[in-house]
Amino acid sequence: MRLVAAELVESRQILPGQWLQSFHAPELASGSRAGQFVHVRTGDCSGLVLRRPFSINTADPGTGIVTLHFRTVGRGTEWMTRVREGERLDMLGPLGRPFEVDPRSRHLLLIAGGLGMAGVRMLADEAIRDGRQVTILFGALSAAHVYPSNLLPDEVEYVVATDDGSLGHHGYVTELVQEYEAWADQAFACGPHPMLARLAALAVGRRDRLGVAKLGRKRGAGKADPLGSTTARRKSFLQVSMEQTMGCAVGACLGCTVIGVEGPLRVCREGPVFAAEEIAWPAL
Amino acid sequence: MTPKKAKSPKQVLIRFGDMRVGTDSNRSKRTPTVRKAKGAIEPADRFKAPAGRPRVETGGSAVADLGAPTAARPTLAVQAALDRIDLSVDLAPARGAPDHGGLVLDNPILVASGTFGYGVEYGEVVDVQRIGAICCKGTTLRPRAGNPPPRVTETPGGMLNAIGLQNPGVDAVIEKYGPIWQGWKVPVIVNVAGESIEDYVEVARRLDGVPGVAGIELNISCPNVGKGGLQFAIDRDAARAVTAAVRRATDLPLLVKLSPNVTDVRPIAKAIEEAGADAICAINTLSGLAVSADRTRAFLGNTYGGLSGPAIKPVALRIVYEVAQVVSIPIVAIGGVTNLDDVLDFLACGAVAVQVGTAIFADPELPVRLGDELRADCLRRGLDSYRSLIGTALPKRTGAPSAKGAEYRP
Ligand SMILES: Cc1cc2nc3c(=O)[nH]c(=O)nc-3n(C[C@H](O)[C@H](O)[C@H](O)COP(=O)(O)O)c2cc1C
Ligand code: FES
Repeated sequence: MRLVAAELVESRQILPGQWLQSFHAPELASGSRAGQFVHVRTGDCSGLVLRRPFSINTADPGTGIVTLHFRTVGRGTEWMTRVREGERLDMLGPLGRPFEVDPRSRHLLLIAGGLGMAGVRMLADEAIRDGRQVTILFGALSAAHVYPSNLLPDEVEYVVATDDGSLGHHGYVTELVQEYEAWADQAFACGPHPMLARLAALAVGRRDRLGVAKLGRKRGAGKADPLGSTTARRKSFLQVSMEQTMGCAVGACLGCTVIGVEGPLRVCREGPVFAAEEIAWPAL
Repeated sequence: MTPKKAKSPKQVLIRFGDMRVGTDSNRSKRTPTVRKAKGAIEPADRFKAPAGRPRVETGGSAVADLGAPTAARPTLAVQAALDRIDLSVDLAPARGAPDHGGLVLDNPILVASGTFGYGVEYGEVVDVQRIGAICCKGTTLRPRAGNPPPRVTETPGGMLNAIGLQNPGVDAVIEKYGPIWQGWKVPVIVNVAGESIEDYVEVARRLDGVPGVAGIELNISCPNVGKGGLQFAIDRDAARAVTAAVRRATDLPLLVKLSPNVTDVRPIAKAIEEAGADAICAINTLSGLAVSADRTRAFLGNTYGGLSGPAIKPVALRIVYEVAQVVSIPIVAIGGVTNLDDVLDFLACGAVAVQVGTAIFADPELPVRLGDELRADCLRRGLDSYRSLIGTALPKRTGAPSAKGAEYRP
């Protein structure tokens, strides 16, 4: 974690109200892992007292470029769209804990809802680099909001669902998951809270449906890894990247908590990635 | 530096004369006086780009480049002059027998409770040892899980928070952070909260004598269960009782933090002073509310939240200004500090030190930088201590509390 002056090199609107910005920030590009985020300062004369957290969308250590993908939802993000190339933004990062891929996992299922693509996008790059197969299930309101496939690596299988049926599967992206649950070794998701809650519920029943629970392989039967540990997460089928309004983003203010099964969890410190078992999901 | 002719700062000197600001060797020196004589301070000065005041490089961009070092490196001679400037302050002069007690800070810039965790969280980006003192997150007798999320949201020029005093309880705090704090040069003041006088007393008792704990800051903006949920901070007698009880329980320097959510803060401040507090901190957050995006409920999980940030600075200034006229113990100002001018404003209204809170979230290096900037500002003004900046804006009259100017309450 450090304060970095990231120079904007490219900014473009890739979807209505959605922007993809590239920054030259070698420290971030080489020091970040998929799932981590940066806390960006948005001007100091405009009365915006809080930074804005963004998932690191991609990071290329070779060129020193990191990208952020965001939607203009308020004054902070609008201000960011007005930053010009060559100007430098004050970023604090990389922050939070990354996705943990089990070294034995060969097939990764990434599930993204809307802007949630920014949360899992970098994991696709990392997984392909490591020789894994990746399928991305993506859900959006309509065809106009579907993340452009040319921004994804060629190796990825990309499956789309739209709420209005204007492209791909007509319905929620969560309805596609069961088709892939036998194929996938692990799943990683980012998106609206109800989507993540639904996925968590599906993940709970998966072992029974696939019959793996009865195979009798007592992995870690004696000593369970503590909830939230890297090893426990690595063994978890579903990891989710959560969002919460933030103050400090370093764990100091306790402003960003979500409710976990063992008490409040800081999204900025214990997260933003959690194993699904760590979260106390609302009853569906 | 020879102070120029001083005309009317007498009351300021009397008010702070019994307060030990600085080291003993400094005390014997001539106390710098407030330079109010005409022409002593050029009014234009504050707006001129000061040679000595470190500035942030903007590099022609709209955005301040905060990765830059906090100041252009001064020359050796300038550095030596800067080092001679005395920014030290004792927040508990009454405790200050030579061998024990007292709460002497290297500089008067503290970090506010709840915004800097336990001092370790920002360690990778901030040199915490250079902060005047750290007020840690509110600590209670038993662990608390805090309020349901969401807990923070931005507001115009500020933010609302409703953390709900999430903390692991005093024993865990002592066990986990005491050893770390003990190794630090920067004093750590433990912010204490409770729902009954017994809670406060017990927490204070457990903190008493713990190495690494330099003092206690009582957060009395908590519901008093014994008094039907009314806050200690809004009731003069409750504030007096809790302060006196904690005073009896510990020899630690005792700071009491005022709430702004009261009709008149002065009787409460006076009661706290009489009950034996070493210093008063003002202010805590203002009660506020935000509405959810779909307008079907309040946004925060706790419904209400505390407003902080630049938006509350005028309220904090008013309260510091009022309290400074009725108490003679040191006042630590809190509320919306984001730059050196804010610090100077609070000093002028009678504070001897300031805490930085919400501004840290945007600018983690700010508390350290403000110390440097205050030092540079003193050098530029030809002062060898910042003491003469204190209380300059207070009414030039001693004795009875002012009835002028402070009363505007629509
Ligand atoms: C996220 C957050 C948590 C806080 N927690 C505490 C606390 O535990 N105890 C306390 O006395 N004050 C707490 N405060 C109040 C601050 O210490 C300070 O009084 C207030 O924020 C005003 O200062 P500022 O405008 O510089 O932030 C908290 C403030 C914020 C923003
Ligand atoms: S945002 Fe402050 S603890 Fe997470």
